[in-house]
Order: sequence, then structure tokens, then C-alpha cells
Amino acid sequence: METKIQSEAFQTFIDVSGSLMNYEIQTWLDKGGKVAGHFCSTVPEEIIMAAGYMPFRMRGTGSTDTELADAYFSPINCSFPRHVMNQALKGEFKFLDALLCINACDHVRRIYDNWVRYAKDINETTFETVMSLPRKCGERQVDWYYDEINILRDQLAKHTGVEITDDKIREAIKLNNQARSVQKELYELRKADNPPITGAETLVAIVAGTAMPKERYIELMRQLIDDLKDAEGNTGYKARIMIVGGELDDPEYVNVIEDQGGLVVTDSNCFGSRLFWVNVDEEVKDPVRALARYYIYERPTCPRTYGSQPERMKFTRDLAKEFNVDGIIGERLLYCDSWLVEHYMTKFDLKEHNVGVPFLALDREYVLSGKGQIKTRVQAFLETMES
Amino acid sequence: MIVGGCDIGSTTGKAVVMIDGDIVSSHIIKSTTSPGKTARIAMDEAIKEAGLSTIDDLEKIIGTGYGRLQVPFAEENISEISCHAKGAHWMEPSIRTVVDIGGQDCKVISVSGKGTVNEFTMNDRCAAGTGKFFEAMARALDCGLGGLSSLDNQGKEPHAISNQCSVFAESEVVTLVNEGNDLKNIIAGINNSVAARLSSMVRRVGLVEDLALTGGCSKNDGLAKSLAEKLEVSVKRLPLDPQLAGAIGAAVLASEKLSK
Repeated sequence: METKIQSEAFQTFIDVSGSLMNYEIQTWLDKGGKVAGHFCSTVPEEIIMAAGYMPFRMRGTGSTDTELADAYFSPINCSFPRHVMNQALKGEFKFLDALLCINACDHVRRIYDNWVRYAKDINETTFETVMSLPRKCGERQVDWYYDEINILRDQLAKHTGVEITDDKIREAIKLNNQARSVQKELYELRKADNPPITGAETLVAIVAGTAMPKERYIELMRQLIDDLKDAEGNTGYKARIMIVGGELDDPEYVNVIEDQGGLVVTDSNCFGSRLFWVNVDEEVKDPVRALARYYIYERPTCPRTYGSQPERMKFTRDLAKEFNVDGIIGERLLYCDSWLVEHYMTKFDLKEHNVGVPFLALDREYVLSGKGQIKTRVQAFLETMES
Repeated sequence: MIVGGCDIGSTTGKAVVMIDGDIVSSHIIKSTTSPGKTARIAMDEAIKEAGLSTIDDLEKIIGTGYGRLQVPFAEENISEISCHAKGAHWMEPSIRTVVDIGGQDCKVISVSGKGTVNEFTMNDRCAAGTGKFFEAMARALDCGLGGLSSLDNQGKEPHAISNQCSVFAESEVVTLVNEGNDLKNIIAGINNSVAARLSSMVRRVGLVEDLALTGGCSKNDGLAKSLAEKLEVSVKRLPLDPQLAGAIGAAVLASEKLSK
């Protein structure tokens, strides 16, 4: 990807985010480390880390078609699990030792079934599990997820032979909170009139954080933020855009929007602000309880969750205001019902609250396609703001 | 002031020349495989028809449509959404809703009193409700696009065509033909099915009268009639060829920009 950011740290992020296997993972493996892949943002990375693993957030980067995976999915499954599965069937995840799935949505949940049947042997994973994440976000669901996290803790302890103590979990929480804090610090820079980093570049930095050891990531993020402090800002854009949506790990997609003149200054995405806007409470006595609360309701949730829409809308409105946003683009993967309804409601919510920010809903496929249609819509959207 | 608008769509290329606020000439051609070539042929013809000698006689040209980035002589490009809104509103200032039905997509645009876009919606990655759909149906019925359009062919008991997928809808139509049904009722059913899709898009944006149809498929009288019935409004006729709305809008925007 093209960038005018002069930073070695950022070059590393480009490498790490631009492929599945990367140099940082290789270094980790060479030192005898193991990697556990996990789906979505609700599998508690802290438990994975406490078990001694490096967590890797699953994506399908580099995939161009779904020829192999299509045999195991229906035509109405979204393209994200298809591309991930296709990469798996090609053996692109051989660096994984374990795979942790979750019922984030039914499409993603299906990967577990297909993985154990068809991809496990190809990628030589030695441990697979699927977590059960509740659909509501109250105290009872915290209790449920508390149990789920402890089940995972026991399973991983048994599989690795590592004793997963409370202290180890606390340490992982602390480390992940540090990572979250530097990510938030990076976002702060985007509040400037001429942000030193684009939306596409920011996505590179966030995706990188899910594919390398956290200590190293935090170190590089601090370097990047330092490098950006004297960097020239982005000027000449037509509007400040916020992206709201789900699984978006492809900086090229954001590039298409930014090429039309819409500088992306913030987001409510799960490879974005929702991952790190809030930290896990380090004061809670039982760290697993703290994690359960965090993943169930303390952090901005995904629209898969019932009853949490008003909080999510407030989060979007607050960020739009904080980052002085001119327009919001809602992106969703085709066949994602949760985001379809969410975007529909967002449009009305923004009007009802007199936010004065227009909204554009855009459908997409996991691998960037139909650039012409995206360009037309984004250009017209920006033109409505000019007039 | 002499300006031009050039709208390079997926199916046809359109060019207009505007002199002192009047559209003096226009040209429509079938799109070639090169958007630049399509633009050049359409524009050259329009220039000739306007009695001008070269493209240099035009002070500003704006490109629009899917090929807008490839119009070699345009100094600027503006999305076809803004151009259709501007073009339809310029032709008929009472227009507040534009339904643009082109070769590969359809758009519903809510237009302000100044002819700018308030809001829009587009069909997504699917041929339903577009010229491609009508082409497929005309092929299945062997009746030509004119046959679908003619008001004489709109049967009184339209068949329901429920498939939104053009390919499956075509098989549905073939089945109806094979069953020996009255072709006019099938034709009315086809227009109804597209009108139903468009009317839901109009409702999503919010219907404000007057409503006009633009784009190549706006010439389908059967479709216009069905859409008017479904939305319970009359469709406002535009004084110039509605297929030119995008190119006209581009020319109007060119002259507005020069006047600034």
C-alpha cells in the first residue's frame, strides 16, 4: 500500500496486516511460541495470552476467490467466512496451533464445523473449540459468559499444560489495556483539522495489532505515534467521514472512499474503535468476572446483541461529535442481517437526534469488488454535503 | 456561454451542448468498449449538430455516468446522481423525486428546491429493475423493448413475476409463455414487477411530488403507467428526452460553475 507516513514501525504494520503469516509471527514461532487463532472480537484474548499463546484474529487477507470453500457453505453465507475457509483449505493457517471459534453470528459459527471436518488436518491444528456468547447483555449473561470463559481456561490449561492463574490473567489484561490505550492515543491524533494519518493507514495499524505479540505491538505503536507528531497532516479533503460497521480489515476499501475525497477520521468498527475504546476494569477482584463484564456489556457491542442498540447509537453519535464528522458511511457485508437492520435504524436515529450528519449505507463483499459502484455512491454522497 | 455535458453510461453514451442556457443539440450512441471513444463520438456529433466546429468552442465540459473518469475532454466529473437531479430539476423545477432507470442500475433521488441531492438510494449488485432486466425479458418474449413499452400491450390481468433475479425471472416468463398465457398479461406482469421494486425504493427515500422518470428505461410507457398506479401519483413528463437528463445536468452544472 502507498503511504506518505515516514515510520519504520508503520512499515512493519503494513507487512503484518497485509498477509496472514508474517515476520513477527515467525519470530514468535522461532522462539518456541505458539499461536491461537480466534474469530471476531469477543473471544477473550486475555485467556489465550495467559495460556502462553499469541492470539491471532482470523481474517482472509490475500484471498481472491472462494472456489474451495463454496462446497461447504450455502449461497446466502456471507463472504467473510468463505474467504477465511478458502484460505484454510489452501493451508494458509499452518502457523496456528489452536483455533477458538465463537457463535458471534451463524455465518462465523459455521467455520468451526467446517474447520474440524475439512481444515483441521490441512492446517495441523491440535485444539479447536467453540465458545457460546449470549445474545443479551445483562447480569445473567455475564454469569453465563463467566462460566464460558472458565471452561475455555480449563480447556486451554489441559491442552497446554500451563497453569492459568488469576495473576497471569491480570497480567494479560494489563498488557491488553496498554495496547488499547495506545490505539486510542492514535485515534486522538485524528481529531486534528489535518490528521497525520488517514483512515486506511489507521486500519493497517489496528489490524496489525491482532497479528503480532502485544508487547512488540505496543512498542511499535508508541514509535508510530512519535513519528506522526511531526508529520505533515492530510489536507485538501472534501469531508470528514466516519465508518460504522462490522468485519472490515481491508485498508483498500477505505482507500476507495478516501480517494473520492472523504477522509476517514474515525469509526465504530470491530477492527476499530469498538475494540479498544474502553479498557477492562483492572480493579475487579476476580479477573474472569472483569472479562465477562467487559465482553458482555462494558465495551461497545456488536449488533448481534439484543437490546444494546441505543448504547451503540449513542457511541456513534458521541464519536461523530468528538471527531467533528461531516458524514457517516455504514458498511456491511452482503447477507449480514444484523448490520442491515442496524444501518436502517442508524439513519433514523441520526435524524431523530438532530445530529445533522448524513448517512450512507454501502453493501460490500469481503474481497474488494465493484469499485465503480462504491465510487459512484461515495462521490454522490460527498456531493450532497457540498451543496 | 457554451458548455457541454457528457454522460457515459453502461449501455449508451449521451452528450449535449448548451448555449446561453438552452440545450441546442444532443446525441445518444450505444456504448463502445472504450468509454473515451464513446464520449468522443457522442460529443463530436452533438458539436456538429450545434453548428460548432471544434470541441474548443466549448468553455467547459463536465463528464458523468459510469465512464465519467474516462471522458478525455472533461475538466471535471460529477456523479450521475447529482447530474440526474440537476438535469430533471432544470427541465422541470417542480421535480422533487427522480427515478433514474439506466442500463445496469436504478436510482431514486430526493431533489431539493435548488436541484441538489437530498438523499438517494441505488439497487445493489443486481439487474432487477434495470435495462438489463428488460432486455432479458424482451428476448424471452421476442417482442423487442418497444413491445414491452407499448401501452397497447399492457394486459388487463397481469401475471405475477415474483423472481427478482433476472435470470430466474426469465425462466419464469418462459414458463408462462410455454403454458400458452396471453403475452400482454405477461408484459404487464413484467412492468409491474419492476415498478414494484422501484416503488419500494421511492418509499424508502420518501415520495415527494413531482416525480419524474429519467434514464433510458423511462421511455417504457408500460412501466411508467404501472409505477404511477402503485405510487398513486402522476408521473411528470419532462419537456426534453429524459434519457438525456444526466448529460443535461452535467451541462447545467458546467454553466453554473462558470458563472460563479
